[in-house]
Amino acid sequence: MESYKPTQTQEARFMKSRPCGHDKQVLLDCRVPARLEAIETLADAVNEVLPDRDLAFSVNLCLEELITNVIVHGLKGAADRFMQVQLIISDDWLEILLRDDAPRFDPFMQAPEPNLDLDVNDRPIGGLGVHMVKKLMDEVHADYDGSGNVIVLRKHLRHKASE
Amino acid sequence: MDLHTRVESHATVVTISGRLDAVTAPEYEKRIREMIDSGAVSFVVDFDQVDYISSAGLRALLLMTKLLNAKGGRVCLANVKGNVRSVFEMCGFCAVFRMENSVAEALAALA
Repeated sequence: MESYKPTQTQEARFMKSRPCGHDKQVLLDCRVPARLEAIETLADAVNEVLPDRDLAFSVNLCLEELITNVIVHGLKGAADRFMQVQLIISDDWLEILLRDDAPRFDPFMQAPEPNLDLDVNDRPIGGLGVHMVKKLMDEVHADYDGSGNVIVLRKHLRHKASE
Repeated sequence: MDLHTRVESHATVVTISGRLDAVTAPEYEKRIREMIDSGAVSFVVDFDQVDYISSAGLRALLLMTKLLNAKGGRVCLANVKGNVRSVFEMCGFCAVFRMENSVAEALAALA
Protein backbone atom coordinates (compact mmCIF):
# COMPACT_ATOMS: atom_id res chain seq x y z
CA MET A 1 0.00 0.00 0.00
CA GLU A 2 1.38 3.36 -0.88
CA SER A 3 2.07 6.02 1.75
CA TYR A 4 -0.68 8.29 2.89
CA LYS A 5 1.06 11.64 2.97
CA PRO A 6 0.52 14.67 0.73
CA THR A 7 2.79 14.95 -2.28
CA GLN A 8 3.97 18.18 -3.80
CA THR A 9 1.82 17.77 -6.89
CA GLN A 10 -1.29 17.00 -4.83
CA GLU A 11 -2.71 15.17 -7.82
CA ALA A 12 -4.55 11.92 -7.45
CA ARG A 13 -2.30 8.94 -8.10
CA PHE A 14 -3.81 5.78 -9.40
CA MET A 15 -2.75 2.20 -9.36
CA LYS A 16 -4.94 -0.25 -11.17
CA SER A 17 -5.57 -3.96 -11.50
CA ARG A 18 -3.36 -6.08 -9.34
CA PRO A 19 -4.19 -9.49 -7.88
CA CYS A 20 -4.93 -9.52 -4.16
CA GLY A 21 -5.19 -13.14 -3.11
CA HIS A 22 -7.82 -15.80 -3.88
CA ASP A 23 -10.28 -14.47 -6.43
CA LYS A 24 -9.93 -10.84 -5.33
CA GLN A 25 -8.48 -8.18 -7.60
CA VAL A 26 -7.70 -4.57 -6.77
CA LEU A 27 -9.23 -2.57 -9.62
CA LEU A 28 -8.25 0.84 -8.31
CA ASP A 29 -6.06 2.05 -5.48
CA CYS A 30 -5.64 5.78 -5.33
CA ARG A 31 -4.85 8.71 -3.15
CA VAL A 32 -7.34 11.49 -3.72
CA PRO A 33 -6.97 15.12 -2.59
CA ALA A 34 -9.75 16.01 -0.14
CA ARG A 35 -11.22 18.60 -2.48
CA LEU A 36 -14.55 18.59 -4.28
CA GLU A 37 -12.79 19.16 -7.59
CA ALA A 38 -11.05 15.77 -7.27
CA ILE A 39 -14.35 13.86 -7.41
CA GLU A 40 -14.76 14.11 -11.19
CA THR A 41 -11.18 12.95 -11.80
CA LEU A 42 -11.86 9.98 -9.53
CA ALA A 43 -15.12 9.30 -11.41
CA ASP A 44 -13.18 9.14 -14.70
CA ALA A 45 -10.85 6.55 -13.16
CA VAL A 46 -13.81 4.50 -11.84
CA ASN A 47 -15.48 4.61 -15.27
CA GLU A 48 -12.28 3.30 -16.80
CA VAL A 49 -11.99 0.24 -14.53
CA LEU A 50 -15.73 -0.57 -14.32
CA PRO A 51 -17.16 -1.13 -17.81
CA ASP A 52 -20.68 -1.74 -16.42
CA ARG A 53 -22.17 1.78 -16.73
CA ASP A 54 -24.89 1.25 -14.11
CA LEU A 55 -22.42 -0.17 -11.58
CA ALA A 56 -19.94 2.66 -12.23
CA PHE A 57 -22.75 5.21 -11.75
CA SER A 58 -23.67 3.68 -8.37
CA VAL A 59 -20.04 3.56 -7.23
CA ASN A 60 -19.41 7.17 -8.28
CA LEU A 61 -22.55 8.37 -6.54
CA CYS A 62 -21.55 6.62 -3.28
CA LEU A 63 -17.99 7.94 -3.50
CA GLU A 64 -19.15 11.52 -4.10
CA GLU A 65 -21.65 11.44 -1.24
CA LEU A 66 -19.15 10.00 1.26
CA ILE A 67 -16.15 12.08 0.12
CA THR A 68 -18.25 15.26 0.28
CA ASN A 69 -19.24 14.25 3.82
CA VAL A 70 -15.59 13.82 4.82
CA ILE A 71 -14.56 17.15 3.27
CA VAL A 72 -17.43 19.14 4.79
CA HIS A 73 -18.02 17.41 8.15
CA GLY A 74 -14.85 15.40 8.86
CA LEU A 75 -12.12 17.76 7.68
CA LYS A 76 -14.21 20.97 7.89
CA GLY A 77 -12.78 22.01 4.53
CA ALA A 78 -9.12 21.71 5.64
CA ALA A 79 -6.79 22.03 2.65
CA ASP A 80 -3.96 19.66 1.66
CA ARG A 81 -5.53 16.51 3.06
CA PHE A 82 -5.93 13.24 1.23
CA MET A 83 -8.16 10.21 1.21
CA GLN A 84 -7.46 6.73 -0.03
CA VAL A 85 -9.94 4.96 -2.27
CA GLN A 86 -9.79 1.29 -3.22
CA LEU A 87 -12.07 -0.77 -5.43
CA ILE A 88 -11.70 -4.52 -5.02
CA ILE A 89 -13.63 -7.02 -7.09
CA SER A 90 -14.18 -10.75 -6.67
CA ASP A 91 -16.49 -13.16 -8.46
CA ASP A 92 -19.51 -12.11 -6.43
CA TRP A 93 -18.68 -8.83 -4.73
CA LEU A 94 -17.47 -5.34 -5.40
CA GLU A 95 -15.87 -3.77 -2.34
CA ILE A 96 -15.21 -0.05 -1.94
CA LEU A 97 -12.82 1.17 0.75
CA LEU A 98 -12.56 4.82 1.69
CA ARG A 99 -10.03 5.90 4.29
CA ASP A 100 -9.54 9.39 5.73
CA ASP A 101 -7.51 10.95 8.54
CA ALA A 102 -10.38 12.99 9.95
CA PRO A 103 -11.67 12.77 13.53
CA ARG A 104 -13.93 9.81 14.29
CA PHE A 105 -17.16 10.05 12.30
CA ASP A 106 -19.65 7.35 11.34
CA PRO A 107 -21.94 8.74 8.63
CA PHE A 108 -24.22 5.70 8.84
CA MET A 109 -24.91 6.19 12.55
CA GLN A 110 -25.02 9.98 12.59
CA ALA A 111 -27.07 10.86 9.52
CA PRO A 112 -30.79 11.15 10.23
CA GLU A 113 -33.11 9.07 8.06
CA PRO A 114 -34.75 11.49 5.62
CA ASN A 115 -38.54 11.56 5.41
CA LEU A 116 -39.18 10.97 1.71
CA ASP A 117 -42.88 11.72 1.91
CA LEU A 118 -42.66 15.36 2.95
CA ASP A 119 -44.01 18.16 0.79
CA VAL A 120 -41.41 20.18 -1.14
CA ASN A 121 -41.58 23.15 1.23
CA ASP A 122 -40.96 20.93 4.28
CA ARG A 123 -38.13 18.89 2.78
CA PRO A 124 -34.91 19.36 4.77
CA ILE A 125 -31.75 20.06 2.77
CA GLY A 126 -29.56 17.13 3.71
CA GLY A 127 -29.46 13.48 4.73
CA LEU A 128 -30.11 12.23 1.19
CA GLY A 129 -26.52 11.26 0.37
CA VAL A 130 -26.13 8.62 3.06
CA HIS A 131 -29.67 7.40 2.36
CA MET A 132 -28.66 6.72 -1.27
CA VAL A 133 -25.43 4.94 -0.27
CA LYS A 134 -27.48 2.60 1.94
CA LYS A 135 -29.95 1.98 -0.88
CA LEU A 136 -27.29 1.31 -3.53
CA MET A 137 -25.00 -0.94 -1.51
CA ASP A 138 -25.72 -4.28 0.15
CA GLU A 139 -23.44 -3.69 3.13
CA VAL A 140 -22.14 -0.45 4.61
CA HIS A 141 -19.77 -0.18 7.52
CA ALA A 142 -17.64 2.54 9.12
CA ASP A 143 -14.86 2.03 11.63
CA TYR A 144 -12.23 4.21 13.33
CA ASP A 145 -8.78 2.63 13.55
CA GLY A 146 -7.10 5.25 15.75
CA SER A 147 -5.68 7.33 12.90
CA GLY A 148 -8.70 7.73 10.65
CA ASN A 149 -12.06 6.45 9.51
CA VAL A 150 -12.36 3.44 7.26
CA ILE A 151 -15.60 3.04 5.36
CA VAL A 152 -16.27 -0.28 3.66
CA LEU A 153 -19.11 -0.66 1.16
CA ARG A 154 -19.96 -3.98 -0.44
CA LYS A 155 -22.22 -4.65 -3.38
CA HIS A 156 -23.23 -8.09 -4.49
CA LEU A 157 -22.67 -8.55 -8.20
CA ARG A 158 -25.76 -10.15 -9.63
CA HIS A 159 -24.47 -11.64 -12.83
CA LYS A 160 -26.79 -11.30 -15.77
CA ALA A 161 -28.27 -14.57 -17.05
CA SER A 162 -26.69 -14.07 -20.47
CA GLU A 163 -23.16 -13.95 -19.03
CA MET B 1 -21.76 21.14 -16.57
CA ASP B 2 -22.88 23.44 -19.35
CA LEU B 3 -26.01 25.49 -18.92
CA HIS B 4 -27.91 27.24 -21.71
CA THR B 5 -31.16 29.12 -21.52
CA ARG B 6 -33.74 30.21 -24.02
CA VAL B 7 -36.91 32.15 -23.39
CA GLU B 8 -40.09 30.67 -24.83
CA SER B 9 -43.43 32.49 -24.80
CA HIS B 10 -44.36 31.56 -21.24
CA ALA B 11 -41.30 29.87 -19.72
CA THR B 12 -37.52 29.88 -19.60
CA VAL B 13 -36.06 26.62 -20.89
CA VAL B 14 -32.84 25.72 -19.06
CA THR B 15 -30.78 23.05 -20.81
CA ILE B 16 -28.06 21.48 -18.71
CA SER B 17 -25.50 18.93 -19.80
CA GLY B 18 -22.85 16.84 -18.05
CA ARG B 19 -22.73 16.50 -14.28
CA LEU B 20 -24.91 18.13 -11.64
CA ASP B 21 -22.75 17.40 -8.60
CA ALA B 22 -21.16 18.99 -5.53
CA VAL B 23 -18.88 21.09 -7.75
CA THR B 24 -21.39 22.25 -10.36
CA ALA B 25 -24.58 22.55 -8.26
CA PRO B 26 -23.51 25.90 -6.68
CA GLU B 27 -23.00 27.35 -10.18
CA TYR B 28 -26.44 26.05 -11.21
CA GLU B 29 -27.99 27.62 -8.09
CA LYS B 30 -26.28 30.94 -8.79
CA ARG B 31 -27.53 31.09 -12.41
CA ILE B 32 -31.09 30.13 -11.38
CA ARG B 33 -31.15 32.71 -8.57
CA GLU B 34 -30.05 35.40 -11.04
CA MET B 35 -32.87 34.47 -13.42
CA ILE B 36 -35.48 34.38 -10.63
CA ASP B 37 -34.19 37.73 -9.29
CA SER B 38 -34.59 39.13 -12.82
CA GLY B 39 -38.27 38.18 -12.75
CA ALA B 40 -38.42 34.72 -14.35
CA VAL B 41 -41.09 32.58 -12.65
CA SER B 42 -41.74 29.70 -15.06
CA PHE B 43 -39.00 27.20 -15.92
CA VAL B 44 -38.53 24.01 -17.86
CA VAL B 45 -35.28 22.22 -17.02
CA ASP B 46 -34.17 19.84 -19.77
CA PHE B 47 -32.20 16.85 -18.41
CA ASP B 48 -31.68 15.15 -21.78
CA GLN B 49 -27.90 15.69 -21.71
CA VAL B 50 -27.38 15.18 -17.96
CA ASP B 51 -25.44 11.98 -17.33
CA TYR B 52 -24.89 12.26 -13.56
CA ILE B 53 -26.62 13.81 -10.56
CA SER B 54 -25.87 13.52 -6.84
CA SER B 55 -27.67 14.75 -3.72
CA ALA B 56 -25.98 18.15 -4.25
CA GLY B 57 -27.81 18.41 -7.58
CA LEU B 58 -31.12 17.36 -6.01
CA ARG B 59 -30.63 20.00 -3.30
CA ALA B 60 -30.10 22.68 -5.97
CA LEU B 61 -33.37 21.66 -7.65
CA LEU B 62 -35.19 21.61 -4.31
CA LEU B 63 -33.91 25.10 -3.54
CA MET B 64 -35.05 26.28 -6.98
CA THR B 65 -38.54 24.91 -6.34
CA LYS B 66 -38.71 26.57 -2.92
CA LEU B 67 -37.61 29.94 -4.36
CA LEU B 68 -40.23 29.65 -7.11
CA ASN B 69 -43.00 28.57 -4.73
CA ALA B 70 -42.32 31.69 -2.67
CA LYS B 71 -42.91 33.82 -5.79
CA GLY B 72 -45.88 31.88 -7.15
CA GLY B 73 -43.65 30.41 -9.87
CA ARG B 74 -43.38 26.91 -11.32
CA VAL B 75 -40.83 24.47 -12.70
CA CYS B 76 -41.28 21.35 -14.79
CA LEU B 77 -38.46 18.91 -15.48
CA ALA B 78 -38.11 17.20 -18.86
CA ASN B 79 -36.25 14.10 -20.08
CA VAL B 80 -35.22 12.80 -16.64
CA LYS B 81 -34.20 9.25 -17.55
CA GLY B 82 -31.92 6.29 -16.87
CA ASN B 83 -29.62 6.36 -13.85
CA VAL B 84 -30.38 10.04 -13.27
CA ARG B 85 -34.06 9.19 -12.92
CA SER B 86 -33.27 6.39 -10.48
CA VAL B 87 -31.56 8.96 -8.22
CA PHE B 88 -34.82 10.97 -8.18
CA GLU B 89 -36.77 7.79 -7.44
CA MET B 90 -34.45 6.69 -4.60
CA CYS B 91 -35.03 10.01 -2.86
CA GLY B 92 -38.77 10.19 -3.47
CA PHE B 93 -38.25 13.21 -5.72
CA CYS B 94 -40.47 12.00 -8.54
CA ALA B 95 -43.40 13.01 -6.35
CA VAL B 96 -41.82 16.35 -5.46
CA PHE B 97 -41.14 17.57 -9.01
CA ARG B 98 -43.39 17.88 -11.96
CA MET B 99 -41.80 15.81 -14.73
CA GLU B 100 -42.60 15.30 -18.39
CA ASN B 101 -41.03 13.16 -21.11
CA SER B 102 -40.11 16.03 -23.43
CA VAL B 103 -39.53 19.78 -23.40
CA ALA B 104 -42.65 20.27 -25.55
CA GLU B 105 -44.79 18.37 -23.03
CA ALA B 106 -43.20 20.28 -20.15
CA LEU B 107 -43.96 23.61 -21.85
CA ALA B 108 -47.53 22.46 -22.46
CA ALA B 109 -47.86 21.47 -18.79
CA LEU B 110 -46.91 25.01 -17.75
CA ALA B 111 -49.15 26.76 -20.28
